[in-house]
Amino acid sequence: MYRKIMTMAAGALVLGLSTLSAEAAGKNICVSWKTFQEERWKTDEAAIKAVVEGAGNKFFSADAQGSAAKQQADIEGLITQGCNVILVVAFDSDAILPAFQAAADAGVKMISYDVLVEHPDALYVTFDNVGVGRLMAKTMLEKGKQEGDFAFIKGDKGDPNATFLFQGIMEVLKPNMDAGKIKNVCETFTDGWKPDAAQKNMEQCLTSVNNKVDAVISENDGMAGGVVAALEAQGLAGSVPVTGQDGDKAALNRVALGTQLVSVWKDSRVLGKAAAEFANMIADGKAAAELPGVGKFSGGAKGVEVNAVLIPPNPVTKDKLNEVIEAGWVSKDEVCAGVAAGSVPACN
Amino acid sequence: MSMAATDNTQTPAMAQEGAVTRFLRATEIDSRMLGMIGALLVIWIGFDAASAFVRGGEGLLGGSFLTPRNLWILLVQTSSIAVMTTGMVLIIVMRHIDLSVGSILGFTAVCIGTMQVYWLGPLVGVGHPAIWIITLALGLALGAAIGAFHGSLIAYFGIPSFIVTLGGLIVWRGAAWSVIRGETVAPMDKNFKLIGGGISGITPGSIGAIASWILGLVICAAIVAMIYNGRKQRKRFNFALRPMWAEYVLAVAGCIVVLGVTWVVNAYYWPKGVVDRWAQQTGVTVPPEGMNIAFGYSIPVLIALGIGIAMTFLANRTRFGRYIYAIGGNPEAAELAGINTRKITVLVFALMGMLAAVSASISSARLDSATNALGQFDELYVIAAAVIGGTSLAGGLGTIYGAMLGALVMQSLQSGMTLLNFESATKDMVVGCVLVFAVWIDQVYRRRVK
Repeated sequence: MYRKIMTMAAGALVLGLSTLSAEAAGKNICVSWKTFQEERWKTDEAAIKAVVEGAGNKFFSADAQGSAAKQQADIEGLITQGCNVILVVAFDSDAILPAFQAAADAGVKMISYDVLVEHPDALYVTFDNVGVGRLMAKTMLEKGKQEGDFAFIKGDKGDPNATFLFQGIMEVLKPNMDAGKIKNVCETFTDGWKPDAAQKNMEQCLTSVNNKVDAVISENDGMAGGVVAALEAQGLAGSVPVTGQDGDKAALNRVALGTQLVSVWKDSRVLGKAAAEFANMIADGKAAAELPGVGKFSGGAKGVEVNAVLIPPNPVTKDKLNEVIEAGWVSKDEVCAGVAAGSVPACN
Repeated sequence: MSMAATDNTQTPAMAQEGAVTRFLRATEIDSRMLGMIGALLVIWIGFDAASAFVRGGEGLLGGSFLTPRNLWILLVQTSSIAVMTTGMVLIIVMRHIDLSVGSILGFTAVCIGTMQVYWLGPLVGVGHPAIWIITLALGLALGAAIGAFHGSLIAYFGIPSFIVTLGGLIVWRGAAWSVIRGETVAPMDKNFKLIGGGISGITPGSIGAIASWILGLVICAAIVAMIYNGRKQRKRFNFALRPMWAEYVLAVAGCIVVLGVTWVVNAYYWPKGVVDRWAQQTGVTVPPEGMNIAFGYSIPVLIALGIGIAMTFLANRTRFGRYIYAIGGNPEAAELAGINTRKITVLVFALMGMLAAVSASISSARLDSATNALGQFDELYVIAAAVIGGTSLAGGLGTIYGAMLGALVMQSLQSGMTLLNFESATKDMVVGCVLVFAVWIDQVYRRRVK
């Protein structure tokens, strides 16, 4: 602990000195991607770049192409190039630790973006993942059902996120379950988060309880699609609220049609924008612990305490569909396909 | 061996045989198939009894497994895998393997979905009756083309089928992702949706009670006609005849099974929500005690049955089919006998690709959307079903109906365990063990027959 405070103080000192020496010039904000092949990171990059360049700083990025070794070399290169702050989407959060240490030694500030790297000097910026589960359950209680027979369609058993989500869900539902208001009638993992597997699981669930299901907590949108197909075959779609997450186009359409209650949306542009703003502030000399909304996070595998900003996701329900449309995430036509006129404000 | 067997029938040894053996010999029923049906019944009864303890229901033993509803859904859930096993049997019989069927399924499904939602829908108007026909035809052609491509790599370039289709497994899954960039394509065309057996608006994806009874009676009549015709043919060529009582047993048993299944699918009625929606839209008043509208045979099950019959005919009665078994029995001999083994290989893989496209249509229509994960791991279930159904990985042996029964056994296990709320890890372990156990039993049986 003492050592940590000392390193942070030393870091602040170094930062203070470097801001003095480079007062006038724009700062260099750099990103090391784990793999740029996935569509979503392009969205993040556009958001980060806009904020960085908008503040008069320069933006650089490197793509590790899914290799831990290349990512380490990338970060060393970025340090040499004179980056002031490096955002890292780690491919392997353990193998990257030496690179984080090298950056700390060189006085470069690190932000672990979306993927936690347990280095005490790095700031962790991510969506609140346990919060997604909490939000699903909260929305269900507020806008869906408060009591009755609940079915839980969980994600793949090998994915820790499926369990994190479930923890968050249970945290919120527990008071009502303890009071006997909510009954867990089916609970099942779904191989590979597959929608068709979720459909089969939901069919068996409905058969086993003879359609007595009042609400379904599905851990993502894809599976919610399977769940709704199973409900529809029993004429229950629309009367049984279903949760989901990801902001899938098809799911947002279901929200508009009323067959799905909510899709918890993690807008990667919001995450990118927030992280870039923090990067700008840190580059200007602000200490990570002084950033707005920062807290301590020690929920990683090793329990290392880091400064963290957890961005709350957005639960998109029928009355909030205008937000996804206005954000340009999805077109109005896609959301409103097949929606009866006048039933959804966002579609008018 | 076969000579010894025929000799046996004329010796007094026959009298010493057990009643079961005598029955099997007289009716010429494949005892392995009988074993599998027995296993299936044990599984079904076991699950019904177990679910009776857990929650209770309207099943035969007070559980929720042997209810018309669960059996109806079980058949629909089996249909996609069952369709693909019919092709996989022929591939394995030819001493090849196809690991790519799940990925071909995923790829063709997203292509069909993309055509329906993004191309043809906006072009000719959503819900146009031409959409499902065009997209289905193109989907089948695409599946066949991919299969033919795999087949030609195997046949003409000499790359082992394991490698070609392992590559295909990876390639087509990736291709499926790139077509839709990981998004979900939905909703499917409203007519296409019926292929999945679900309810599209108020039109059910099944044929209803009257048509189902008619179909059941037609199949029954066909069974009787086949038995009669078979006897006539045997007489004509002076072949050994089955005793008359055995012919009757077969005809009656066949009809009982067909009509029993028909009764079950007709005993599953529209759920209340659907009846209400239907009444609302058609202006019919529902009596207070509710209405019983039967589902009947669902379209995916009919597709699977039709394909099963067609493939059985293809395998047993056509030159193409007999060549496949000849190649599987001894590839060198087949080639020396003048069979164009390369052409047959290409055709068999093309057929497999097309069947994967049929399954793609069933799965995506059932889910009412197409995703790039559709059909993942299906190749394993398809191969497992074929092997459980008695297809020998050494080639030359295997039946279509056996493989389809194998698919039903696998799906019964999975559905039953889900019904009982088993952990998914337990489900995986049970299914894996059953696969190995079934093959072991099969080996023991084959050795004893020898």
